[in-house]
Amino acid sequence: MNTVSMAYKNLKKSFLFYAHYLFSVSLVNTVFFAFTSFSMNSVMLEKISTDGRVESMCKGISIFLMVFVIFYMAHSNRFFLKRRTKELGIYALLGYRKSNILSLLTFENILICSGAFAAGLVLGAIVHKGIVIGITALLNLSIDSSQIPLFNIGAVVKSACFILLVVFVLSILNSIFLLKTSLMELIRFEKKAEKNLKFHCLPALLGFIMIISGYGLSLNIFSGTKSVWASIGYYPIGLLTAVLVMFGTILFISSFLPYVMMKSKNNKRNFYTERKIITIPNFIYRIRSNAKTLIMITLLSAAALTVSSVMALSVYYPIAAVSRIAPSEIEFRMEDETQRDTAKKIIGQYVSDDEVTFTQTDIYKVTSSASNLPMEYSVGTAKGDSDNEKILRKAGFECISYTNYITLLQAQGKDKVAASISELSDEECILVKYQPNSDDSSEIGSIYPLIIGGKDVPLTVKDVTLKNPLSFANSIGTLIVSDSLYNQISASNTDVTSILSINGKGIKDNEALYTELNNKLNKASCLQGHSHRINEVISLNSSTFLLIGFLVVLFFIAVGSILYFNNISAISDSKPDYEILIKMGYTNQCIKKIIRKQVLAFFSIPFVLGMLDCIFATVVYKIALMQNLLGNNFSQYVPVVLAVVMTSIIYLIYYLLTVRSCYKMAYKR
Amino acid sequence: MTTLLEAKEVTKMYEKAQGPSLKKVSFSVVEGEFIGIMGASGSGKTTLLNVLSTIDTPTSGDIWINGVNLKELNKTGAADFRKDNLGFIFQEYFLLDSLTIRENIAVPLTLLKQHPKKIESKVQSLAERFGIASQLDKYPSELSGGQRQRASAARAIIKKPSILFADEPTGALDSSSATELLNALLEANQELHTTILMVTHDAYAASFANRIFIFKDGCIIKELLKDNGSRCDFYESIAMEIAKLDNERYGGGK
Repeated sequence: MNTVSMAYKNLKKSFLFYAHYLFSVSLVNTVFFAFTSFSMNSVMLEKISTDGRVESMCKGISIFLMVFVIFYMAHSNRFFLKRRTKELGIYALLGYRKSNILSLLTFENILICSGAFAAGLVLGAIVHKGIVIGITALLNLSIDSSQIPLFNIGAVVKSACFILLVVFVLSILNSIFLLKTSLMELIRFEKKAEKNLKFHCLPALLGFIMIISGYGLSLNIFSGTKSVWASIGYYPIGLLTAVLVMFGTILFISSFLPYVMMKSKNNKRNFYTERKIITIPNFIYRIRSNAKTLIMITLLSAAALTVSSVMALSVYYPIAAVSRIAPSEIEFRMEDETQRDTAKKIIGQYVSDDEVTFTQTDIYKVTSSASNLPMEYSVGTAKGDSDNEKILRKAGFECISYTNYITLLQAQGKDKVAASISELSDEECILVKYQPNSDDSSEIGSIYPLIIGGKDVPLTVKDVTLKNPLSFANSIGTLIVSDSLYNQISASNTDVTSILSINGKGIKDNEALYTELNNKLNKASCLQGHSHRINEVISLNSSTFLLIGFLVVLFFIAVGSILYFNNISAISDSKPDYEILIKMGYTNQCIKKIIRKQVLAFFSIPFVLGMLDCIFATVVYKIALMQNLLGNNFSQYVPVVLAVVMTSIIYLIYYLLTVRSCYKMAYKR
Repeated sequence: MTTLLEAKEVTKMYEKAQGPSLKKVSFSVVEGEFIGIMGASGSGKTTLLNVLSTIDTPTSGDIWINGVNLKELNKTGAADFRKDNLGFIFQEYFLLDSLTIRENIAVPLTLLKQHPKKIESKVQSLAERFGIASQLDKYPSELSGGQRQRASAARAIIKKPSILFADEPTGALDSSSATELLNALLEANQELHTTILMVTHDAYAASFANRIFIFKDGCIIKELLKDNGSRCDFYESIAMEIAKLDNERYGGGK
């Protein structure tokens, strides 16, 4: 029998075991080929990337993908090799040279990789086509899909070369393994007893303290200006937190968990029960040989989850923030009355007038003699703090009337907010904040004397709000005053800016209308469009989202498969244990519960720790690096919650699949 | 003396086998007996042990243990029956690698939901009786074969089963370890009145029993009784019987 037919027969014999492996490698190849096809799709890239940003991201991510695939394949290869050492030992006893064994293993790898490559090619091409259709629809792109071939020849060649590289790397790893292992070790490899490690209190405690300190430090960021983050610096504290959590995770898994389990054995009443007497020692026993894998999966879990959550947050946040950046569907600064008629005329071509509301707001800039004024009063007045430094803002409050404010809110569909705001007296005002103060202080109760007609008119801040009626491009430091005071201001003030806000269902998400208005109005009009802004954000970020999505999907396939194979292997090794337990009188139900617990322990560690790391890291990212336009509004966290829920579902599916296969493995005769 | 086990015309057929593994086997065992089951490979010894211990079901015939007809037990009932009545020792020890010797011996009592203090004291006293008290906190991989088998015997006996099934318990042991184990089993039989059914190839091991069934082709072809004779005499008669069987095989082969 030659090596090729032996390799083929081996794969056929252990088909069930290899089928799962082949399936996971095929999925990995699918993701890789879809990604490569996408990164080499010039038609698509031309449309979504104008500055070469997507291309350079593709290059970076493709390196990550390749390293990740090689790592996953090497890990799986090692895993299968370990399971077959005895069989390889028998070949050696029969007179096979190590070079023969190596070529047998290489042929097997070639067979598996070729199968996976073929499957990956077909599935990857379909996935790529789906992505193209999806993005075209999402971004309203005009793409002739017949120009995009199902199989991109460049991508096929690149993937084939990569697969060859993988086979080459695996062969080198296999030859190192075979060279390092003697014949005796080959035969005795599986039987080698685990070393009985002692778990010491100090590293266990250290692991716990480090991980808790890391989480504590991240929570400290909520203290605002008093936090160590603000006083020492975000960079050093961020680094310290990451180091504490990383090393804490390593010690937590390798020392703390087994140590706690060892100690839990001292509680005899709890320990001497039919299931715990099996599951607790089994956990301690398994963690000895699996600690490294678990640590690696946990850290990978944490990294991938954090990346996906942070990405989801950074993509969604600007969309959620559009409700503040451009609260009206369309808004612009009127330079003369004709612009109002022009806008009405253009809109009239798209929708009838009764579907649209036009609200004109005259903003009066009023200065104050107060010494302690809010940030919004003077923001953008000096070089360095304005987004557009060519147009410097004059310091002052931008006053609008109460009635105007309520009308705008109602036009924007914020009826509930409008209903909750009570009328103002002439001594009261409402201050519109740009974002909440970082130290959680509030201006409510502050008195700002406004200089109206050369006289100081003191106004008390009745309330502060994040519900700005006008875009920040047209008004910052908006102060809402009573109608009579507003009339008083208008009578003595000439520094006025007129804003036209246009709202209504009929003009929503109408890019053609926006473009036409933009062409008719000049730059100084500061045209703002709610739907236009959202579309802009989606189109800018969707490629980032997609590319990182490739990484996250690949991560889930790899982590799920590693956990799956580790558990299947452990259960297969413990088969005689289950047989003896059944002979002792354990019911099948009880054995199933034991298996479930054993699998759950190994799934829950990377899941729970990865999830905690992700939540704390996302909180730090949000507070330290992002603007806080939305205050504590829950809606901005929706994508993070979604990412967490999706991760939980994926883990749950993998867990259920693994448990099912473990049952089969345990009861297979 | 009350009958503990009764087998009536037990037959076991396997789908792919040419003939039955057990052919209408009938016998009974009274409380406190030490039974040896001998025979060549494939004669039906292990099949008998499997059907007697509810691991497998006979194709026909009835088996009563402690007045319970095993045929009437469903899967859960059989598991409960094993938990309450049966103990096992195997040639390969089958200790649970991840558990210490103490935990291994304690498992059957945790199944019976006994109080932890009671479990610990029983484990300690049995370990002393089997000479493995100093090994209790070690893992199976740290023990010699003899010590492992004694631990396995302690685990089987600790719950005082109505009947103990031992499948080639000395098969993997050196002679002194085998003698130590057999003495321990004999002690358990005589002092704790544990009924033992031991499958063995070895005439020396079989001589520790009071009664021997010799199997051939799925049938009991001979029954040997120790009566009040010495173990040495019994050993000789077993050896003679085995030699006779071997000679027949030789004759048949010619």
